[in-house]
Amino acid sequence: MSRRLLTLLLLACALPLRPVAAPPGATTTEDWGLLAGLMFSEAETAFATAAATGDRWARLGHAAALLNHPPVTPRKINRVAEALRALLAQASDDEPALFARYLLARVAHVHQTTPPAEVEAAYRALLDTAPHVVAQLAATRLAPLLIYEREDLTPTEGLAAAAALIPRADRPDLPELSVAFYRVLAGGALYHRLADERTLAWLRRAAEIGSTDPLTATTVHVQIAELARAQGDEALAAHHYRRFLATAVPTDQRYRLVRERLAELAPPQEPRP
Amino acid sequence: MKASRLATIFALALLLAAFGTSAWRLISRGAAEIDPNVEVIRFAHWQLEPGVREAFDAIAAEYMARHPHVRVDQIPIPGRVWRQWLNTQLVGGMAPDLIALATYNNPDDMLARYFTPLSAWLEEPNPYNADEPDLADLPWRRTYSAELVPVEGVHYHSTNLLEYFGVPNAMVTVRVFYNRDLMREIVGDVPPPRTFREFADLCETIARFSTERRRPLLPLAGSVFNITRFTDGLFHSATQRFAMELDHNLDLNHTQLESLKALVRREWDLASPPIRQSLRLVEELGRHMPAGWMQLDREDSMMQFAQGRAVMIATGTWDAGGLMLESPFAVGAFPMPEIGADDPEFGEWSLGPVSEANIFASLSLGLTRTSRHPERAIDFLRFLTSRRGNQMFSEISTWLPVIKGVAVPEVSEPFRPVVDGYPFGVNLRALGGRAHDLFVQHLHLLSGQQADVDVFVATVNAPLLRSGREELARYTRTTHENIRQNDSALLGRGVPTPPEERAHSRFDRLAALQLTLEARRQEALHTLRTAPPAP
Repeated sequence: MSRRLLTLLLLACALPLRPVAAPPGATTTEDWGLLAGLMFSEAETAFATAAATGDRWARLGHAAALLNHPPVTPRKINRVAEALRALLAQASDDEPALFARYLLARVAHVHQTTPPAEVEAAYRALLDTAPHVVAQLAATRLAPLLIYEREDLTPTEGLAAAAALIPRADRPDLPELSVAFYRVLAGGALYHRLADERTLAWLRRAAEIGSTDPLTATTVHVQIAELARAQGDEALAAHHYRRFLATAVPTDQRYRLVRERLAELAPPQEPRP
Repeated sequence: MKASRLATIFALALLLAAFGTSAWRLISRGAAEIDPNVEVIRFAHWQLEPGVREAFDAIAAEYMARHPHVRVDQIPIPGRVWRQWLNTQLVGGMAPDLIALATYNNPDDMLARYFTPLSAWLEEPNPYNADEPDLADLPWRRTYSAELVPVEGVHYHSTNLLEYFGVPNAMVTVRVFYNRDLMREIVGDVPPPRTFREFADLCETIARFSTERRRPLLPLAGSVFNITRFTDGLFHSATQRFAMELDHNLDLNHTQLESLKALVRREWDLASPPIRQSLRLVEELGRHMPAGWMQLDREDSMMQFAQGRAVMIATGTWDAGGLMLESPFAVGAFPMPEIGADDPEFGEWSLGPVSEANIFASLSLGLTRTSRHPERAIDFLRFLTSRRGNQMFSEISTWLPVIKGVAVPEVSEPFRPVVDGYPFGVNLRALGGRAHDLFVQHLHLLSGQQADVDVFVATVNAPLLRSGREELARYTRTTHENIRQNDSALLGRGVPTPPEERAHSRFDRLAALQLTLEARRQEALHTLRTAPPAP
């Protein structure tokens, strides 16, 4: 057997073990890289050719690039919305269509002036696409709208509505996003002076999921400890002060304060589960 | 006639010599650059303070001795023309391999377009630390004292692009430098003041000495730049407990945004006891300032100090080399005076010394996309920031080291950051451009013998409340821009990432970052909608 053939066979065996991140449709990894790198003019040019052939991924990429193509104008944003609707008119249930629906909701929410009720409806329509990742994205984006933008809801109602999104927002697909979602819920409660047992539970869930961002990970411990201390749960506070001290870099300027707050607490006990 | 002819010949000869020298330099340089056996690495920065260029030169010389086929050229560019120079070089496609980065000079789109992300390299060990048992196996990033934690606003990392773009080389702190000879003459061999009370007493003693001996001496060199270094320290120290009260999200990390939201919600203003107390500190400092000090600029105050007309000057340790070199007397330095929690007059809202532990590393060098030898440039950066390289840099420049285990040079010992301190408090000047202007424009009300906190509060309070709203509104606009751009970037990250690889990927992290920003922005908008109107 030739060496070349052997290499090909080995490669073929390895393929199922590690999927190759092949760019979809007629697009290239470089095209999406331009978009990820905020190089919108270059991305717009890169996607334009393939989009003209009707490739659905390229049309999606082109719309995303045009959305921030400088100078950003209301006319261009309208063109993006039209392009996305055209994409959906052609087929509404493949993957480019799901991303297009999500981007349309974002266009309405962030790039155009749209009444919150319409934006909410667009996000809610995406919740049923679970387990696709756009359902998790939509659920998390809906939370701040409910907590801060829905003027017809009281802060308590807004928080309750946002917390009802947990089954869609807490997903293993995007754990960093789940952590951010729980922190948004807790942040809303703290902002509206409504922090309670539930707030603590949200932060604890964020800590349980865990973040690879060192600052987020250590800050969640501080927040839990501070809130637990305020609510009189000293064992829980001590546990998370200790977790902070064990994981934060010593150059974190909160280090001494946390050390002293831990020392001020009663002798350590195990936190309740 | 003969003399004028000679002059003409001399002028022509001079011109020819200058032309010849320039041509020779150009030709010899060009020859080296096109020599296929020589790899040329060029790096540019704007730190022209004495010691920095010498430090870079020494490290480059050692690197070249190790790698004879490499030439490292340093390109120092004056700060005043830096931005124009940078833009021309980048747009023209002729930028050096390595360029100094700062967030205020390099927006995200510039980083994305012209610079190479360094995250992957930073996760590999630095081979130049191979002989250092404690560093040899650590990723390059973790060989830094602060492990380059990607905090918002640092020069070496882009929060939006989720990438490291720079490799820092030094750290700076703010200190009070003093004329040792004068100080000895006035107060004898006593240790420098540690607390604000001791500092104020020292100023008083210097003023008395000046009057009695009829020697025009200022306790503190004045310019808005230098004095605001000092007032920053006073605010940071005297309002720490108050900042914890405004820390609504309970992360013990009070931010400018939290101060602003609380200001707009009228949870505080200039009349609030901790702020008024800080203003009283500034007033006490201001009483020792001469009339007209606000007209002086940074160079004037450096001159005042170097000529022995002022006993002390507050500035960043980046000026240390210059001060020591240009002053014909011995220069000492001490940390900003503390407002101890036990200070009966000013300590009520203080926790203790302000932590300088997370002062982020500076003098970051980024790799340009047009570099002809990116691997070589990275190798030079590794050497530069190895324990050996950083030790050399620190010893020659007097700037503080950033790599674990690098000894702080004896001369820089007073600059060593306060590590075991507390988070800093609320600083008026840090509430945005308009608040800074208001503070500085009215600082005269807190200076000289007519200084009066009540007048300052009565004059500045209403404009500050209005500026708080303006600044918060500005925040919502700039954040909106980021959020909008991230909608496109998120698709760029998400679409090519296979579903099973999405967890903790850059797609996941960007989605989390965008959500966090969006919630913060909504909170700010809600504050603006629901807070009482500004007076």
